[in-house]
Amino acid sequence: MPFRSVNFFASTPLLLVLGISIVIGLAMVIVFRYTSDQKAIGRAKDRLKAHLLAVRLFQDQLPVVMRAYGRILSGTCSYLRLAFTPFLIVLLPITFLIVQLDRYFGWMPLQPAQTFLVEARVEDPAALNEASLQLPPELSSSAPAVHVPKDKEVVWRVVAEREGQYDIQVAAAGQTVSKQVVVSPGLARISPVRLRGNLWERMFTSGEPALADNSPVQLIAISYPPRVIRFAWMEWNWIVLFFVVSLIAGFVFKSVLGIQV
Amino acid sequence: MKLLSSQQRNSGLFPALLLVIGFVLLFPMRSEAYAGPGAGFAVLSSFWTIFAAFLYSFYALVTWPMRQLLRMFRRRKAYGKAQVKRVVIVGFDGMDPELANRFMGEGKLPNLTKLRDSGTFRPLRTTFPAISPVAWSTFQTGVNPGKHNIYDFLARDLKNYLPFLSSAQISEPKRHLRIGKYSVPLGKPEIKGLRRGTPFWHWLGKAGVFCSVIRVPVTFPPEKFPGVLLSGMCVPDLKGSQGTFCFCTTRMDGGRFREGGVRIPIERNGAGFRSYIPGPENPLGTGSELRADFKLRPDVKRGQAQIEIDSETFTIKVGEYSEWIPVKFEAGMGFTARGICRFYLKEISPEVEVYVTPVNIDPGRPDLPISHPVTYSIYLAKLFGPYATLGLAEDTWALNEEVLDDQAFLAQCYGNHEDRERMFFDALEKTPQGLCACVFDTTDRVQHMFWRYLDKDHPAARDVPQDQKPRVIQDLYDRMDSLIGRVMQQIDDQTLLLVISDHGFKSFARCMNLNAWLHQNGYLVLKDGKSESGDWFEDVDWSRTRAYTMGLNGLYLNVKGREREGIVEAGAEAEALKEELRSKLDRLVDPASGKIGITGMFDCDAVYAGPYVDNAPDLIVGYGEGFRASWDSVMGKVTTAIFEDNLKAWSGDHCVDPRLVPGVLFSNRKIAIEKPAIVDVAPTVMKLFGLELPSYLDGKPWAVATQTQDSV
Repeated sequence: MPFRSVNFFASTPLLLVLGISIVIGLAMVIVFRYTSDQKAIGRAKDRLKAHLLAVRLFQDQLPVVMRAYGRILSGTCSYLRLAFTPFLIVLLPITFLIVQLDRYFGWMPLQPAQTFLVEARVEDPAALNEASLQLPPELSSSAPAVHVPKDKEVVWRVVAEREGQYDIQVAAAGQTVSKQVVVSPGLARISPVRLRGNLWERMFTSGEPALADNSPVQLIAISYPPRVIRFAWMEWNWIVLFFVVSLIAGFVFKSVLGIQV
Repeated sequence: MKLLSSQQRNSGLFPALLLVIGFVLLFPMRSEAYAGPGAGFAVLSSFWTIFAAFLYSFYALVTWPMRQLLRMFRRRKAYGKAQVKRVVIVGFDGMDPELANRFMGEGKLPNLTKLRDSGTFRPLRTTFPAISPVAWSTFQTGVNPGKHNIYDFLARDLKNYLPFLSSAQISEPKRHLRIGKYSVPLGKPEIKGLRRGTPFWHWLGKAGVFCSVIRVPVTFPPEKFPGVLLSGMCVPDLKGSQGTFCFCTTRMDGGRFREGGVRIPIERNGAGFRSYIPGPENPLGTGSELRADFKLRPDVKRGQAQIEIDSETFTIKVGEYSEWIPVKFEAGMGFTARGICRFYLKEISPEVEVYVTPVNIDPGRPDLPISHPVTYSIYLAKLFGPYATLGLAEDTWALNEEVLDDQAFLAQCYGNHEDRERMFFDALEKTPQGLCACVFDTTDRVQHMFWRYLDKDHPAARDVPQDQKPRVIQDLYDRMDSLIGRVMQQIDDQTLLLVISDHGFKSFARCMNLNAWLHQNGYLVLKDGKSESGDWFEDVDWSRTRAYTMGLNGLYLNVKGREREGIVEAGAEAEALKEELRSKLDRLVDPASGKIGITGMFDCDAVYAGPYVDNAPDLIVGYGEGFRASWDSVMGKVTTAIFEDNLKAWSGDHCVDPRLVPGVLFSNRKIAIEKPAIVDVAPTVMKLFGLELPSYLDGKPWAVATQTQDSV
């Protein structure tokens, strides 16, 4: 099999998400430690706390309380200023990392015998009638194509017979473009859509090369089911779980390592 | 069909990232580490600040009408008859009126001169005896020592003739849980304040007048009242003492320090050295002392050393202090004592010597309450950083023992003083209406230790040529004058400014061991075969002793039924003995100098009145100018010599005849009284705020002009 899968975590990637979240939480506090002025951040935080305490201690002195509020705001600005550089430094790699992890955790691969939809959007609505889908032997079409001229889209219902990574071909206006389809019981890298141009959108949604700019097909999408992780009697989107766990891990590690955040 | 768009929504990535970015933008406080969910933890800590502020604002807003009503009601009571909007009291412990007058006469101290010329300057009568804890207790309660129960730093235990701190007692929690070799305390140490009487800010607070009180002596343990207070003199260090420094050294030829410090060996550890700071006794009842180990790596070329203690690593140069360093003493079973201290690198070659200040209670996470409310000390620590909390934070003993030199001691004093100035000016800003009182004790410590340079012929500085004597005390008064100048810039015409001191100062050139005199005159008898006694009357035969002295000015009779082994009958015999001692000691002459060593012996029955008179000494010794009780005498030691030169840096003092050392009273308003006394301050301030005066007060309110330029 040419595609990568991590079968151990196939049924539930919970442990993997938790592990990655904890490691990232630790990595972030360490990166923050070395890219920030720890002393200045400590001082700024202490002053903020002092102004908060002032509101409580001098609550009957209205001018004092108002000044304390003003100082809380200006202290917040100082704090932000100090946090801005490390924030920028960790922002880009973490964003990139999340996008990459989402290829694995955001979607479930298709299962054998599972029906799914293949959608293609074309440039010219006239090309809809000529659009065709060519499937490998392991995949088969289970219904006639549906044309949606208003949206310049054509949709096929397809079913996979067995596991594997396949390329399907969509032909339109004399050109043929391909799209990857993953059928696997394990954890696999998923690209739900292949599209042309639009770097920003491709970066967040597609894990495949762009379609040519002159391609008559604007995009091809596969209806992979979104992944839901069960944890603590709740269903979680992995990013939300990642957010919560890495946050808790960060808090723990910052206290253990004595890092000012 | 919107398959693709619904897929994108379901994927969660784009919206989740939007959510994340939205979080960053909407709650930027967390953004310092929130570069994705992984760093979102940081957002929370900052978000909490804003959330707490918001929550408290909401609470404040909802409860505001009710509080405003209450405040209006209270203030009508408090300020309705008030003659002032605010009273600011700046206390300079030990500022001497003669010296102030002399420096003003020399054209110095422009700000105090301005107060003198446009307001008031008078000597301020002090207490019997003229000792800070006594005088400041009288200042705050408006009563004589017979009503507040403070007669000295020390009081004596009638059961065993041993001393204890007169102002507060800290005892172990009553209940313990025995687990193997450990005795786990159930509860916190019990702190009992021994000063009686009610500070006047309690009365003001009850009437709705807000009070900020900073480091007034004998305010430990802090008492609850409607205002804020930071305790001063008498706050202990982490060991529970009044300040025990630590001198770590590779030289082991030095002897034991007389008091105030311990010598700790530094041992070689590979390329570096290691030593430790002694801490409090193990609270788990093992009988051992806790320690905080540290490592030191000297860099001789650069004249500096790197010190590693706990998780802190820092570098200091020779002759420099570190910042305040947190120290942790671990007792086991999760029990830890935390404090702060400063390191001073004295030498790194050929020997290594490090002085460590007494371990102060950490104001940011106090193990004992040092402020009211507890959060006030935390507030100050968060605002200005850690600061000295020990009552006697200026390490006079370290200079006396020559562990610190003059410059190092002064650097310590003025470092602490600057911290206190910051606290005071913050309190001034936070108290636009009400009382703001702060006592600075730098004046006392510096005069104690540097009087030798002011005195022309002090035995401790005889080898220093007159023209080379540093002008430390002049500089001290200049600094305090500058402080007053800054206060004057921050107050308006409706504020009364009082600059006061608890006592003045005189030279301390000759020591007198009164126990030695009592011994040689048959009043104090030693055990057979002894010609001297160790500390705390170790070799005294109480069954034959009629009188003894301990502490700075108190002389006690060994009264039957009062002291454990008393032999003097109370009543006529005791009165006769007192009279006999008075007549013999009053005007006692030092044969070496020909000067009068004692200018007054005061009967406590005559100078004190109140419910605690029984705890007072029987006689107060008023030493003459230039004299004071010797350190040995203070500690209950009996020596052979009665008089001797004082060769220590501690060269100025005020524990003399109180008539010789009045304090100062400066004010920005005219005050119509010829002989004001420190006991009058409390009733004066209370009256200025329109309060009825309690009948038990001993002080009398002064007539104060209603405006700055008015006459009374």
